Amino acid sequence: MTSEQSVVLEASDVVRSYGAVTVLEGLSLALRRGTVTALIGPNGSGKTTLIRTLVGLDEPTEGELTYCGPDAVRPIGYLPQQPSFRPGQRVRDTLAFYASLVGETEADAVAQLERVGLADAADREIDALSGGMTRLVGVAQATIGSPPVVILDEPASGLDPSMRVHIFDVIRALAADGAAVLVSSHDLALVERSADRVVLLDEGAIVRDGAPDALCAALGVGSLLEAFESSIAAEAGTVRVQGETG
Amino acid sequence: MSNPEQIARQGHATDHGERLPPDALTLVRTVLVREIKTVLLQPAFAALVAVVTVIVLGLAWSGGGVIGGYVPTIVDLLTPLEVLVPLLAVALGYRAVRNDERRGELEILATYPVTAWQLVAGIYLGRAFGVVLAVTVPLLIVMVPVAIVGGVTSLVYATHSGADSPWLFLRFVVLTVLFALVLLAVAMAVSALVSTTRTAVAAATVTLVVLLFGLDLAIAYGFASGFVGESGLIRSLAISPLSAYRGLVLETAVAVTSVGGPQTASPLASLAGLLLWGAGSLAIATRALGR
Repeated sequence: MTSEQSVVLEASDVVRSYGAVTVLEGLSLALRRGTVTALIGPNGSGKTTLIRTLVGLDEPTEGELTYCGPDAVRPIGYLPQQPSFRPGQRVRDTLAFYASLVGETEADAVAQLERVGLADAADREIDALSGGMTRLVGVAQATIGSPPVVILDEPASGLDPSMRVHIFDVIRALAADGAAVLVSSHDLALVERSADRVVLLDEGAIVRDGAPDALCAALGVGSLLEAFESSIAAEAGTVRVQGETG
Repeated sequence: MSNPEQIARQGHATDHGERLPPDALTLVRTVLVREIKTVLLQPAFAALVAVVTVIVLGLAWSGGGVIGGYVPTIVDLLTPLEVLVPLLAVALGYRAVRNDERRGELEILATYPVTAWQLVAGIYLGRAFGVVLAVTVPLLIVMVPVAIVGGVTSLVYATHSGADSPWLFLRFVVLTVLFALVLLAVAMAVSALVSTTRTAVAAATVTLVVLLFGLDLAIAYGFASGFVGESGLIRSLAISPLSAYRGLVLETAVAVTSVGGPQTASPLASLAGLLLWGAGSLAIATRALGR
């Protein structure tokens, strides 16, 4: 797992600035095949900016991104924080549209729905789905074309516990199939249970990086939550705003 | 639309990703089909076509054009359509790109092997399907009462100056469709450029006013102030899509029925003006999506 060959996406010394505000400060990160990397950090720490940069939606101000995975029709699958789809169409048609963009069929799209446990909703109108179901459709969409890298921005946000567990089970299955999965989440218990590696981001920099157990052992704490609390700069109940908080 | 192509590649072939991406035409067709479904699935679309049909029939009937024949009907409908067609095109086009952007679908699409021009082409052609339906259905329906109760017509118009003919009306339909397609492209460019739905509505309204009145007023002012000379007036009308459309209709579907009379527009310049507006707008939309 740790061999150089298994790295599929690598960020080197990435800086991302918006005017005078630097959100990512020279950050390096390598995503490896067959692993779940969890990105955690307080609100405003730069998680979404890092994700958007890795996906290619935002260009880094400095540094570089290197995709070194296998040739693929769609190298990176992406689930945005608030997935939303064109209304008035069935779930099946929505996913079939995306599948056809990578040369896949409707049957392939339905197979992705089955993978996330949503096959029964295939003929439902997409705008009639609950928030959790819409996120599952989003996860299914992120896996269309079997991208070697799958990046999910808070896929479990706002969902009930069983749905959160289900989404993380799907994420583990994706990694088991060989994908390099990066997932941002505030659900530290599930992260601790599901991730191979945890990257803790604070004020645009990686402050901790390692397996959940190793992180806790290194800090002498009993849980990822305690590791989180002992690693971030902000006091409890405050949000550090980059470019503003001294 | 940014693209993961920005990411440097050091790809090495493995057991993954053997599939080739679909070709450009397939991708355009895929986007086009989704767009057509979106237009046809809108319950308001059928109502829109029905309302436009009623308005067009009402205008043609009340103006007396139906009784007079095809060319009188064209004359009755020309001015109302100069307002109605831009409204239709903007209604079907101003949210075409903006809504996908608002939902975050453009960012999702950026992770697929579809380029900005393929998206613009697919969305435009799909919306054009709706616009063509909304324009042609009412105009073709209005031909029925003209055929039944209209004046004397000739089916061999091409050799008869001064004769009324359904072919002249069909020419009018084609020109109106062209005008609508150009305005749809303008509406799409606006939709791709603006950043919020509220801005899209405001920008579409401003664009409409500029196209309907602004450019015509500018030409009139240019002529009155001497900036536009008498000899250049006919060609300068091509700058305004509205004047270009009006000029094309008058020159090719109305004035041909009379002998002599002053030239009202330069058909070639007007056609070139419309095509430039359409192509330029689509280029702007593609550029905006590629940001």
